[in-house]
Amino acid sequence: MCSCGEPRRGWRRCTPSPMLLLSLLLSTAPFGFLGEETRQVSLEVPGWPDSPQNLLHIQAVGTNSTLHYVWSTLGPPAVVLVATNTSHSVLHINWTRLLSPEPEGGLTVLPMESVQFSSALIFTRLLEFDGVSEATAKPPGKPYPSYSLAEFSWNNITNSLHPDTLSATFQGHPKDDPTGAFANGSLAFRVQAFARSGRPARPPRLLHTADTCQLEVTLVGASPRGNRSLFGIEVATLGRGPDCGRIQEQHSIDDEYAPAVFQLDQLLLGSVPSGFVQWRPVAFSQEQAGRASALSCQASPLHPTLAHSLPQSPVVQAFFGLQQNYCTFSLTFGASTGPGYWDQRYLSWSMLLGVGPPPVDALSPLILGIMAVALGTPGLVLLGGGLVLLLRRKHSSEYQSIN
Amino acid sequence: SYFCYDNPAALQSQVQRDMKVNTTKFMLLYAWYSWPNVVLCFLGGFLIDRVFGIRWGAIIFTCFVCVGQVIFALGGIFNAFWLMELGRFVFGIGGESLAVAQNTYAVSWFKGKELNLVFGLQLSMARIGSTVNMNLMGWLYSKIEASLGSAGPTTLGVTLLLGGMTCILSLCCAFALAYLDQRAERILHKDQGKTGEVIKLTDIKDFSLPLWLIFIICVCYYVVVFPFIGLGKVFFIEKFGFSSQTASAVNSVVYVISAPMSPLFGLLVDKTGKNIIWVLCAVTTTLVSHMMLAFTAWNPWIAMCLLGLAYSLLACALWPMVAFLVPEHQLGTAYGFMQSIQNLGLAIISIIAGMILDTRGYLFLEVFFIGCVSLALLSVVLLYLVNHARGGNLNYSTRQREEMKLSHTE
Repeated sequence: MCSCGEPRRGWRRCTPSPMLLLSLLLSTAPFGFLGEETRQVSLEVPGWPDSPQNLLHIQAVGTNSTLHYVWSTLGPPAVVLVATNTSHSVLHINWTRLLSPEPEGGLTVLPMESVQFSSALIFTRLLEFDGVSEATAKPPGKPYPSYSLAEFSWNNITNSLHPDTLSATFQGHPKDDPTGAFANGSLAFRVQAFARSGRPARPPRLLHTADTCQLEVTLVGASPRGNRSLFGIEVATLGRGPDCGRIQEQHSIDDEYAPAVFQLDQLLLGSVPSGFVQWRPVAFSQEQAGRASALSCQASPLHPTLAHSLPQSPVVQAFFGLQQNYCTFSLTFGASTGPGYWDQRYLSWSMLLGVGPPPVDALSPLILGIMAVALGTPGLVLLGGGLVLLLRRKHSSEYQSIN
Repeated sequence: SYFCYDNPAALQSQVQRDMKVNTTKFMLLYAWYSWPNVVLCFLGGFLIDRVFGIRWGAIIFTCFVCVGQVIFALGGIFNAFWLMELGRFVFGIGGESLAVAQNTYAVSWFKGKELNLVFGLQLSMARIGSTVNMNLMGWLYSKIEASLGSAGPTTLGVTLLLGGMTCILSLCCAFALAYLDQRAERILHKDQGKTGEVIKLTDIKDFSLPLWLIFIICVCYYVVVFPFIGLGKVFFIEKFGFSSQTASAVNSVVYVISAPMSPLFGLLVDKTGKNIIWVLCAVTTTLVSHMMLAFTAWNPWIAMCLLGLAYSLLACALWPMVAFLVPEHQLGTAYGFMQSIQNLGLAIISIIAGMILDTRGYLFLEVFFIGCVSLALLSVVLLYLVNHARGGNLNYSTRQREEMKLSHTE
C-alpha cells in the first residue's frame, strides 16, 4: 500500500505523515488505475490439424480496447501480450508459418495500427541448487544442471480448460528423463484471466484487475537431486534497449493478504504505456498455502542475454520476428533451513502479468473501520463527558451563588 | 524464572521451524503458562500463609518451575509438542506463585523501610532476566546447532535444558533464603513472613465501578504488551528487515527500559499524585507507539522505547490506585483478582493473537492491539469522568492526599 499519488514509488521513499494517515482514515484511497473496470473475457484453444493443442488465446474485450494474451508451450512456456485501442482487434495465426523453423510473421494482431503495446515473457529453465553447500558456494548453493523447459513435453490443454473460472493449465515433464526424476512429478503453469478486479482466496492473494492474468507455477512430486535442493525458475523478457531496467522492490506496511510478507516485487515491461509483472516474494511448500509453509523468494537482478544462449519460443518469434536481445532474471524459492520443497515435494509460486499501471493495494475497509471506531470512541466520550461535567459544574456553581 | 518465561519468544522461529507448528500453536505455549495462574493468584497467598509457610512455599514453587522447564525442554528433545505445553503448564504453576513468595519475603524483611525501592529493584531484576534471555538464547541455539551439526528438535531441547540451569540456580537461592530466614528468626526472634492476603471471593460483589474500570484497563493494557513481545521478534525481522540479533534487541528494549525507569517513575508518581493523568499519558503513549509500528515504516526503536516508557509508567501509576479504592481488608482479594483476570486476558488474547497473525498478518494484529489499547483508553477516560463526577480521590495530587490524611486524623 502506498498512499502517495504516484503508484510506482516504494514505501521507503514515501513514508506517510500522520496527517496523511488521518486522511486515509477518513476516505479510502482511490485506485490510481486507468484501465477498464470490466472486460468480456474469452478463452480459446485455436487448433490446426496434426498440431499439438498447446496454444491458449485469452481475449479481454473492453469498451474501447482489447487485450490479447497468447500463452503457449510450443517450445518453452511463453506468453505474448498485446494491447490494442479498439474493441474489434483479432488475433490471426498462420499455422504453417508458426510451426515452421522460421515462424516470423506467424502471429499477428489485426488491425496492426491498433496495437498500442506488446511484450513477451519466456520461462526458459527450471533451476535446481544444492542448498546444503552454502558454506562453500554463495546462496542458493552449487547449481545442478538445469532442466530446459523447451525439452519438456506438455499436455493437451483443452482438457484443463475451465471457461467458468477462466483458467487453463499447462502441465509438463521432461521428454528425456534418464534418472526418472519426473516419474511421479510434473511442472504446471496454471493461467487464469479475470473479468473484473478482485482478489483470489489463495495466498498470496494478489490484487488483480480486468487487465491482468495470473500465472501459478507449481512443481509437484519431482525427485530432487539433493537432500535439501532449492528450486528456481529462469524468466526472459524482450530486451528493449541497452540496459535491462531492474526489479522494483516495494515495501509496504500492509500484510493483511499475505501474512508476514511486507514486500511486493514488480518489473515494468517497456515504457509508457507499459506492461508489468508483479509478485510477492513468497512461495509455498504445501498445497495448504499458509504462513507455516511460506518460503522466501529471491529474485536475481536482470541481466542482458543474447538470443543464442536461450531456448527460443516460436510464438515470441512469430509475433516479434527474430530478436537478438533478451533480459533474463531468475527466482529461487526457499532457503536451506526452514520449510522447503523436500517436506512434501510441493512448490507453488504465483505472479500477475498485465498491461497498464500495476494494481496498488489499499488498506482494507475492515481495518479502516476498526481504526475509526477505536480512535473515535474514546475521543467522543472525552468530548461528551467533558461537556457534561462542564455544564454540571456551571450549574452547581450558579446554585451555590444563589445559596 | 523470568529468564525462562520468555524462552519461547527468544526462540520463536526456531520453535516453529523445529516443531513444525504455526503461530497459533506457538502462542499456546504462553496461554498454558497463564491458565494455572488464573486460579493460583487467589490461592498462592493462601498456600504460602496457611499450608507451606513461606520457606517451603518458595522452595516448592521453585521446584515446579524447574520441573516445568525440564519437561518443556524434554518436549523439544522428544519432538512432542504436547509435552512442551505440559511443561509450560507446570512452569506456570510455579512461576507466578513464586513471585508472591518473593514479595512476601520482601515485605517481611523490609517492612517499614525501603519497601517501594525493593519492589522496584525486584521488578528491575526480573526485567534484566527477561532481557538477558532474549539476547542470549538465540546465540546459545546457534552454538549448539554448530556443535550438534544440525538444527532440529534435539537442538531446541538441549538449548532449553541449558536455559533451565538458571532455574536450578533459583532453587539453590530458595534453599539459601530459607536457611537465612530461619537463622534470622532464631537470632532476631522475628515472625515468619505472612502475605497478609486473606482472599474472600464474596468481596468481589462489593467492588465499585472505578475498580472494575481499573481491571479493564489492566487487562486491555497488558495484553498489548506481553503477547506483542511474544510475537515481536519475527515482526521486526519481516517488516523492518532486521537481523535476528537486532530484532531480539529491539524486542527486549521494553524490558531494558522498564528496569531502570520503574523505580524512577514510582518516585515521580509518589511525588506528584494525579494517578489517572499518568495512566492516561501511559495509555496514550502506548496507542501512539502501536500506531507507529502498524502504519509507518519508521525505525521501530522509537516506537519500542516509547512502549517501554509507557509500560513502566503504567505499572507505577495503575496498581497503587487499587489501594485508594478498596478498604485494607479487601486489598488481597482485589489484587489477587486483578492478577487473575490479567492472566486470563493474557491466555485468551495470546491465542487470538496467534490466530490473527496466521490468517490476516501483522498489520491486522497491530490494528487489533490498537483496538485493545483504545478500549483501555476509553476506560481511563470513563474512570476520570466517574471519579470527577463522584468527587473521588484517585486524581488528587500528593498534597491534597496529605491534607485528606490530616483531616482524617484530626
